[in-house]
Order: sequence, then structure tokens, then C-alpha cells
Amino acid sequence: MSNEPYSKEHQEYLKKAKNRKTAIIITQILILVIFFVQWEITAKLKIVDPFLVSQPSRIIKSLVKIYNEGTLFRHIWVTCYETIVGFVVGTLLGILIATILWWSDFICKVLDPYLVVLNALPKIALGPIIIFWAGNNQNSIIIIALMISLVVTIISVLSGFQEVDEDKIKLLKTFGANKFQILRYVVFPASIPTMISALKINVGLSWVGVIVGEFLVAQEGLGFLIVFGGQVAQLDMVMMSILILSLVAYLMYEVVALFEKKFVKWKS
Amino acid sequence: MQQRIVKSKVTGGIIVSKLEIQNISMTYHTKEGETSALSDINLKVEDGEFITIIGPSGCGKSTLLSIFAGLIEPSNGKILIDDKEIKYPCSQIGYMLQRDHLFEWRTIYKNIIIGLEIQNKLDKDSIENVENMMKKYGLSSFKNYYPHQLSGGMRQRAALIRTLALNPEVLLLDEPFSALDYQTRLAVSDEIYCIIKNECKTAIMVSHDIAEAISLSDKIVVLTKRPGTVKSIHDINLEIENRTPLKAREAPKFREYFNTLWKELDVHVE
Repeated sequence: MSNEPYSKEHQEYLKKAKNRKTAIIITQILILVIFFVQWEITAKLKIVDPFLVSQPSRIIKSLVKIYNEGTLFRHIWVTCYETIVGFVVGTLLGILIATILWWSDFICKVLDPYLVVLNALPKIALGPIIIFWAGNNQNSIIIIALMISLVVTIISVLSGFQEVDEDKIKLLKTFGANKFQILRYVVFPASIPTMISALKINVGLSWVGVIVGEFLVAQEGLGFLIVFGGQVAQLDMVMMSILILSLVAYLMYEVVALFEKKFVKWKS
Repeated sequence: MQQRIVKSKVTGGIIVSKLEIQNISMTYHTKEGETSALSDINLKVEDGEFITIIGPSGCGKSTLLSIFAGLIEPSNGKILIDDKEIKYPCSQIGYMLQRDHLFEWRTIYKNIIIGLEIQNKLDKDSIENVENMMKKYGLSSFKNYYPHQLSGGMRQRAALIRTLALNPEVLLLDEPFSALDYQTRLAVSDEIYCIIKNECKTAIMVSHDIAEAISLSDKIVVLTKRPGTVKSIHDINLEIENRTPLKAREAPKFREYFNTLWKELDVHVE
């Protein structure tokens, strides 16, 4: 197909599709530019109060200042580290627990109401207890992030495991597969899309956990900058941290999406 | 019931059937009570024979096949292969389900060798055997494709080779064509039939399609309504040469068998 020249109609179709894609990207960038430009101008003309809403030029100044102090990347790294550890451990532990529950129907039935309660409970409420137990330090933040993603992972991965086609399991049983082989050859690989969508949800949830954790205990990190900036009425610092946070969170989500492409290439 | 001529292989003067089913009964237990699904089924299948079990829906034909495959334990009775009682898991029996159930995340080749992988039989000989079969049945060039890239017929062929890779002597087919559309179904049943005959396998199929049953089988077993038991056995002799399922449908006697079985099944639309 590819070495044959396309018909004129098809070429036109491809061109149209490409143009549309470019139009979407340009509009997206335009929205961003317009937003920041109007922010800068309205703040400069004092239409909005720059003390309350900050201003792009002030945000850049604040960024340069922190960069010159040499702590910018430290703050970003601390938050990223907590998030990554929180969501990786949360996801792995969640998958492990889901596997145990899949393996033993009895344990699964027994723990069901407890899982429902844990899922309904806002994990942030456990914050003070966790700080008491794990100390006024980074561990608490990671545990809070982990707690938030753990229960969701268990529930979604387990339901993924249970939705695996019974006939596929039956097929393996006719080959004489044992339970471990069923897990390895069908249940696990069939659930990879579910696990990756759990991963995607967990990235977002872990950011929530980490930022809240940093609000509560941290001495550094983006969440700390946000809270500290608020306390000293430095909205520039708050806005800057939020912008960096959005960017990093977006990048991390893209990494997971890349991961998905690599592992579910058999789809579509 | 017609008296049939047994063409069994003779071992030391004693006639031994390939597969013998003795007094199989099955009762399901649920909270609501117990249901008798099968009652006292007796059946003999000769080597290389293609038999089809038909019956009204809910008569327990699929249950019977699951019992043969060792997926369910019968309440009563036993199954013999070559006069020996089967112990499960049994590598002499291969099972084909209604849909191909190829694993989307594995390539065709990887799908075909999955049974070998599970039974730890992946060695030079078995790999060569699989590759030969893939070549013979036109799947070699699709070795590294994923299932969704193949047509329904090819998928079904791949599923059959997956079963044949373990070299079973008896094949169990549970409505193997029911997920395909009508045209594909005719073509695929032709292909599958030829492969089974080519590989000299004994086959037991479950179907609710009378025409399909006649076109494929040497013998048709009719079950009664639940609790299913053998109502009658019909030898299918279409008196044609080089029989294939498609040719069988054109045979003059085809209609005759169809009418007999239709009456036998006693289908009422209630």
C-alpha cells in the first residue's frame, strides 16, 4: 500500500486531517498565550489587583529569585520524589493485595465491607495519625500519598481481575493449568490495561496526597512553597509553584501514557 | 435405534472403542435445590470417527463435553480412552471452545504454543510440529501478527492448531463455529473438518445446528430434554466420495437425514 501513490482524493483527505490537527494545536497555544498576556496587561493597568492575583512578570521574577537561591530544583525534586514513591508503592502494593484477594475468594468476601469503608473514608482525615506514627517528616507525606491511591488500586485492579473472561480461564484449565499459571498467563496480562488506567488515576491522586502532606508537615517541596507563600502573603510564589506543579504533573501523566503505549501495543 | 456396524480396531480379539462413556450422570446443586442435568449416558466412539451430539437447548450437551474435558466432575459414571479410565488433566483430550479465545496480547505463534508452555512441553520436536502445522494450514506468514489482525477463519484455524499442538487423540468441539457469521461458518467448518480428518483425530462435537451436524459427522447422537439421556444414535452415510462438509450439504440423502433428525428433536415453538 505505502509504495503506491495515493489517489488525489486520498491526498486531499490526508491534507485535511493534518490541517485540522495543526489548527487544534495552534488554538491550544493561542489560548495559553492570550491568557497570560491579558493577565499581565490587566494587572499592569490595575484592572485586577496584582497583590491578589499576581502577575506573569512577577511570577518570573519570583522564579529567578528562587533559582538564584539555588533551591528551585530541590523543591521540585522533593515533591516529585514523594509523588513517584507514593504512587509506585501504592500501585504495586495495591496490585499485590488485589492478587491475594483474587486468589482467595474467602479472604475477598471477608474483607469486602472493610474495603468499602476504607474507600469511603477520606484518607486525608488520617493525616494527623500518620504524622504521629511516622514522624513529622517526608515518610508521613509518602504514606498519605500511598494511602490515597492504595484502596482505589485494590478495588479497580481486583474488579479487572474478576472481569477476565471465564472462557479464557476455562481454556487454560483444559490445558491443565494450575492457579498460578492462570494468574500468569491470562489474569495478569488481560488486566494490564486496567492496571495502567489505575496507574493514570493514581498519578493524580498521589499529587493530591503529596501536596496535602506537604501542607501538613513539609519544610520543602512545592506544596510547602504554596503554603509558605500564602502565609507570608507572597502570591507570586504561590502562583509560580502552582504553575510548576501543573507542568510537572502533566509531564508525569505523559510518562504513564507513554508506558501504556509500550505495554498495550496489541490493542487496536 | 439403528444397529450400527462397529469398525473398531481389534486388539487381541477384543473390540476396543477409542472413547467409551459409561453411565455418566450429573446433578447440579444450588441453594434453590438440585437439578439433574444428565442421566445415565452411555456412548462409544470409534477411532477416527466424527460424532456430533445434538439435543434441545438446555439438555446438557455442553455439560457433557465439559465432563469429557475434565472441567466438571460427573456425579456418577466413568470415561475410558482405549479401555483405560481417564485421569485428569488428560493430554489425550483437546478442547475447542465456542469462540477462538486467542489472547489479544500474544502473537499468533505465542497463542499456539500456550498449551505447550503450560505443560512444559516446549522442546525442539513440539516447536517443529507446530511450525509444520502452521505452514500446512497457511498461518506461517502470520506468525508474528496479533489476533485482531486476522480474519475469523484464520483465528479459528489458529485455535485448532493451538489444541492440536498438544497432540491430543480426541478433540472436543463445543459449538466451534457458532460465533461466526453464516458464510464464514460454512467455509471454516470445511477447513476445520479437513484439518481434523487430515490429522486423523477422533472428534466429538456439540451443536444445535442439525444441518451442520449432518454435514460434518459420521454419527449423530440425539439427547432428550433435561435430564439429558441418549435418545437415539444415527449413522450418517451420505454415499458420496471425497466427502467435505460443503459437498455433504449437496448430497441427496442430506435432506432425508435432516427430516429424520428434525422429527427426532421434536422442536416445538412454545
